[in-house]
Amino acid sequence: MLAGATSNVAPTIEDEHRPFGVPGPDRRDAGRFVVETRELGKRYGDAIVAVNQLTMRVRRGEVYGFLGPNGAGKTTTLRILLGLIRPTSGSARVLGAAPGSPAGLSRIGALVETPAFYPFLSGRDNLSVLARHAGVPSPRIEVVLEEVELTGRAGDRFATYSLGMKQRLGVAAALLKDPELLILDEPTNGMDAAGMAEMRTFIRSLGENGRTVLLSSHLMGEVEQVCDRVGVIHGGRLVGEGTLDDLRGRASLRVLAEPLDAAQRVVAGVSGVEHVAIVDDGLRIAADPGSAAEINRALVESGVAVSELRLERASLEKIFLELTQGAEEGR
Amino acid sequence: MKGSVAAELFLLRKRRSTWILLGLWTALAFFFSYLLPYVEYRNGDIGGGPGQVGLEELLPDHLAGHLSGGFPFFGGVFALMLGVLALGSEYGWGTLRTVLVQRPGRLHVFAAKLVALGAALVPFVFGVFAVGTVSSYAIAWREGVGFTTPSAWDVLRALAAGWLILAVWAALGVALGVLSRGTSLAIGVGILYALVIEGLISAFADQVSVLEPLVEFFLRANAYSLVEGLGASTTGAATNGPGAFSGPYVAAEQALVVLLAYIAGFLLFSGVLLRRRDVT
Repeated sequence: MLAGATSNVAPTIEDEHRPFGVPGPDRRDAGRFVVETRELGKRYGDAIVAVNQLTMRVRRGEVYGFLGPNGAGKTTTLRILLGLIRPTSGSARVLGAAPGSPAGLSRIGALVETPAFYPFLSGRDNLSVLARHAGVPSPRIEVVLEEVELTGRAGDRFATYSLGMKQRLGVAAALLKDPELLILDEPTNGMDAAGMAEMRTFIRSLGENGRTVLLSSHLMGEVEQVCDRVGVIHGGRLVGEGTLDDLRGRASLRVLAEPLDAAQRVVAGVSGVEHVAIVDDGLRIAADPGSAAEINRALVESGVAVSELRLERASLEKIFLELTQGAEEGR
Repeated sequence: MKGSVAAELFLLRKRRSTWILLGLWTALAFFFSYLLPYVEYRNGDIGGGPGQVGLEELLPDHLAGHLSGGFPFFGGVFALMLGVLALGSEYGWGTLRTVLVQRPGRLHVFAAKLVALGAALVPFVFGVFAVGTVSSYAIAWREGVGFTTPSAWDVLRALAAGWLILAVWAALGVALGVLSRGTSLAIGVGILYALVIEGLISAFADQVSVLEPLVEFFLRANAYSLVEGLGASTTGAATNGPGAFSGPYVAAEQALVVLLAYIAGFLLFSGVLLRRRDVT
């Protein structure tokens, strides 16, 4: 996995098998967490709870997907992490600093919600304004424009840009400081299919270069393609967190064979098979996916006709719906 | 800080509305301060009636005082709009959050904006005085009358007073822009205050004596008092136009202190609001 390759400290077994949404104890190696929130909350008056006791941790070097439906509290959380909004409860640390502190922000690049720029300035001039505020040397502007493939239109006024170009300029602005942490809120919003694919590849490459990326999205496919770990937020609460494999649960093997009863008996006798059941005119086998070949050989040698043998895994969409519906019922 | 100030100056320079306001203010100042009075004079309309000025007012001798009279209200409205646009637009476009996540703290950005705004007011003062100088010399030359060159000290004091008065109005604009987190309402309320509120209360103060001390602390009263102390003719201000002002005047020293207090108050209010409120 990417996170393992780029992270300074490999995740422990304890980390990987902790129940979703349940933070571990304080650790001595807190530096591995780029973003840490503890029971973060944001209320607007008595009626609106935008973020509710949210505890999450983003590890150094990973691409973390912050997944949730519209209105789940994603953007509010990101704004808190950037110091734009003050939480009403709980705490947060970003790169070891308080949210919004210049020390922290100097190492963070962010695109929050719709890209907002001065409409009367060109894309290049907009970046120039931001670079001066950030103390970034001006040659860096051309580098980031090149990275997001906006050089050709960089001299045009921002007001004339398409939504996709605005998004790319937003990403360019986020990259200006060559940041350790990138916070991207729905970066593919408004892009066409090709643009979305390009942007996802680009974000993935950013992660591969050792940056930590916190990607907020309501698109499961996007998160699935790009992220190492995912936090699912619903109603302001983190209802699940883990690697994609964690969230999907262990894969099972699916076998279609005849006769089914005989197949079940044979498979049950194969070493490493933990459980086998007949489900929907086939077998569902709880076993290490690596034992598929052995199961197939056992079935064939026993005279069972195997018409299909495949790995079966719950889709992220299914898991997402289970988590969010579960949270809804638990309210 | 240097980079942020450079960024804000760049923004103001690139912004069309800055140039439109500067152009309008300079053109209208020329029109109302020199062209219109001179046309009246040439047509023989100037007969010493209320609010009317004689030829001597248009000559270089009276340059400093004559031009200063336009700052307390007329120029103030332009500065108010500039102040509102400098801060209020950032909310409207959502660019405040884009800038704030770059690194600088909120007060850092605010301070940079104020420095840039203060610098942007300089051409507003110099522009009017440049046009006034050319106009007054041209009138003197055309009429073939003798005149004395205004003293550098008088002009310098008038320039400083003009800048200070514009700064007070710009600070009010900043406060309204931050308070309303936009431009439309802020400009509306600002102009309402400038045109109606001070005027109405001043009018009531003539009948309700308890209001009199209050009026002495009004922005316009102190601004007019400051320029009157510099030798500005306030005859026109008494009756002409929507910013008509007939007193009470206060001592120039008090006016200076009150105006500085207004700037400090408006900016402190804006700074606290900007620092404490969520940026959405």
